[in-house]
Amino acid sequence: MRTKLTALVGFLPLGAFWLFPLLMGLLAAFYAAGDGAAWSALFAHPQFWSALRLSLVTGTVSLVVSTVLALWIVAGVHGTSRWPRLAGHMGGFLSLPHLAFAIGLGFLIMPSGLMARVPGSLAGWTAPPQWITTQDPYGISLVAVLILKEVPFVIWLISSLLARKDMALMLRGHWLVSQSLGHGSASTWLRVFIPQILPRLKWPLIIVWVYGASVVDVALAIGPTQPPPLAVIIWADLNNADQAINARGSVGALFLTVVLAGLGLAFHAAWRLASPKIARFVVRGPSPGSIARKSALALLTFMCAIYVLVLLVLGIMSIAAQWPYPDLLPTQLRWAAWEQALASPAPLINSLSFALACVIAALAFAVMWFESVDERLDPVLLALAVAALALPSLLIADGQYLVFLQLGLNGTWFGVFLAHLTPVFAYVFIVLKGPYRAFDARYRSVSLGLNTSALRFWLAIKMPLLKPALAAAAAIGVGVGMAQYVPIQLIAAGRISTLSIEAVTLASGGNRQLLAVFSLMLAVIPLAAFACAARLGRQTP
Amino acid sequence: MTLRLENISIRIGGVPLIAAFSLSVQDGEIITLMGPSGSGKSSLLAYIAGDLTPPLNGIGGVVLNGADLETVRPEQRRIGRLFQDDLLFPHMTVGQNLLFGMARGDRSERIAMMRAALAQAGLEGFEDRQPHTLSGGQRARVALMRALMAKPDCMLLDEPFNKLDKALRANLRAYVFNHLKIRNIACLMVTHDIEDAPEGGRILHIGHEGELKIV
Repeated sequence: MRTKLTALVGFLPLGAFWLFPLLMGLLAAFYAAGDGAAWSALFAHPQFWSALRLSLVTGTVSLVVSTVLALWIVAGVHGTSRWPRLAGHMGGFLSLPHLAFAIGLGFLIMPSGLMARVPGSLAGWTAPPQWITTQDPYGISLVAVLILKEVPFVIWLISSLLARKDMALMLRGHWLVSQSLGHGSASTWLRVFIPQILPRLKWPLIIVWVYGASVVDVALAIGPTQPPPLAVIIWADLNNADQAINARGSVGALFLTVVLAGLGLAFHAAWRLASPKIARFVVRGPSPGSIARKSALALLTFMCAIYVLVLLVLGIMSIAAQWPYPDLLPTQLRWAAWEQALASPAPLINSLSFALACVIAALAFAVMWFESVDERLDPVLLALAVAALALPSLLIADGQYLVFLQLGLNGTWFGVFLAHLTPVFAYVFIVLKGPYRAFDARYRSVSLGLNTSALRFWLAIKMPLLKPALAAAAAIGVGVGMAQYVPIQLIAAGRISTLSIEAVTLASGGNRQLLAVFSLMLAVIPLAAFACAARLGRQTP
Repeated sequence: MTLRLENISIRIGGVPLIAAFSLSVQDGEIITLMGPSGSGKSSLLAYIAGDLTPPLNGIGGVVLNGADLETVRPEQRRIGRLFQDDLLFPHMTVGQNLLFGMARGDRSERIAMMRAALAQAGLEGFEDRQPHTLSGGQRARVALMRALMAKPDCMLLDEPFNKLDKALRANLRAYVFNHLKIRNIACLMVTHDIEDAPEGGRILHIGHEGELKIV
């Protein structure tokens, strides 16, 4: 009886603040499908099919390329002295919000950007080149942003998997066996490691794919416009004042979800059909080739350089008052944009408070769940958390908007908080689940045997030991919270502004200095959170 | 085919673990290397195979069939290994595990050889089974067959019977030694159980100071 009562502690707040908005939102999103007129309006949209194709190509290309590049880098660096540092630093890269990165990369590659200034100043060009880089019609810059942002994420996924003791031990043994059977490092990665790693990353990779195919904020900042990806069309519909057009947006979000699910199943079937061919490749026999470590390192260096340049360019742009082409540095600096941004700090304060409130709530809910609910129920919550991330945020946010409309929560701080909490808790729970459940229960027995109270054990033993995991989960939570755009814009209903909303608004042609300031704030806060988490993680012996 | 070890020294950090170890293993001979844990016997096998990792490092000659292996990469040394765990690849079937190490060639010939090897291991028709559905003894036999199908010039066994229960142990020991003898392969085995040593074979003891006593 007691155990049932304590389990309520784990269930109740989580159910009310996370599960209820998630499930009701999904229900509402599916309920919207009953509108037949909206469906015919959707298919009648002149850009519908080309936009859908663009979305699917964007998502698929970014997934495949970023997975290949990440595996390439990991295979080249794993087992060398650089590996622990690389694995440790990936968190910082992935915490940088996509939107801030997209805006910075846009500043870097635009015709008057730093990239075109280097040849310009060398060759003495007087005007920027006539190339179209950001918002190019093929979505190349959009795909580039997605790839550059997903590579660190996939590396981080692989490194977390390889850091698990059971995996590390097993793969070390497999490495030795494969080597003794005559397989070189390249063959071992292709035939032994990758076939064991990829199936374990199925769901995270699906999340990457769906994200790329349904992203809104990055597409608005750097994606093509004629046609835009389908998500942008849906987004415009959802933000329209006309209810009939809203309904078209709702069914559009559902349609995109269904198409992605169908394609996912088709991929799955194709994979199964191809598996005898893959097996044949795997068992063809030993091959002595080694991994091209140098190319992997070059790739990694290139990626790091882009990240540094993006942050640098954002910094310069935020204070560049006059920057005539083709000078490499501005001729006049001014802090006006910073002063302007700090004079009305509501977006910064809102972003920070949503991110922090969500992280605190998510950590509390997760710890309450782990402490009071049986481990056997974890898979249920895990499936829901994965669903919250693998379904397009457009769909969930639209559904939540419809539910919150009934509850009067749109435009309120609490409503936006709930919408934020959906992805933040999902990430925090997924990241924390492994370390928390792996905590050795014998510590508790030993400590209670020493006449320590349960509370003292928890505060003095368990929390310090789990501190690195909690800190890492919190940092990821801050990054995820700061990066939200779709849910806030919908649920805030124009009444609450955040850094991401300001940045998207300015990206469509506003004050570039101010845009750089907001993007930099958006970038620096998650980076700071990661630096703190890394420090906290190190302090624990 | 002989394996010759010449003046091998292994250090951990700067501390010597094994000093000036020399040994010659003849074709078809199984030499047992015994010593307490931490004596460096497994590190010696890793050095011979070419994958001793820091903070361990070693010097000394490894000569296989007259060829010095110093500059030869581990995967090209043709040295087969067995470990405490069977280490069968879980993403492959039993048959695929055997094919994995077999030299490239005609597909149907390779499959026929794989089937014959399974039959020799008393596992006829097991090729499509998943490794985890086999018993411990069956998996150990598959692991041995997998190593042998790669046609190694010598074998290094690192406590290969350690995780098996007593009855199975005697059985598998006889099976492994038999196959090594049939193929006339030089073999160095590390163990801490004197019962593992084959009858009449040479037994070496490594002490804590890396001293060598030949029994």
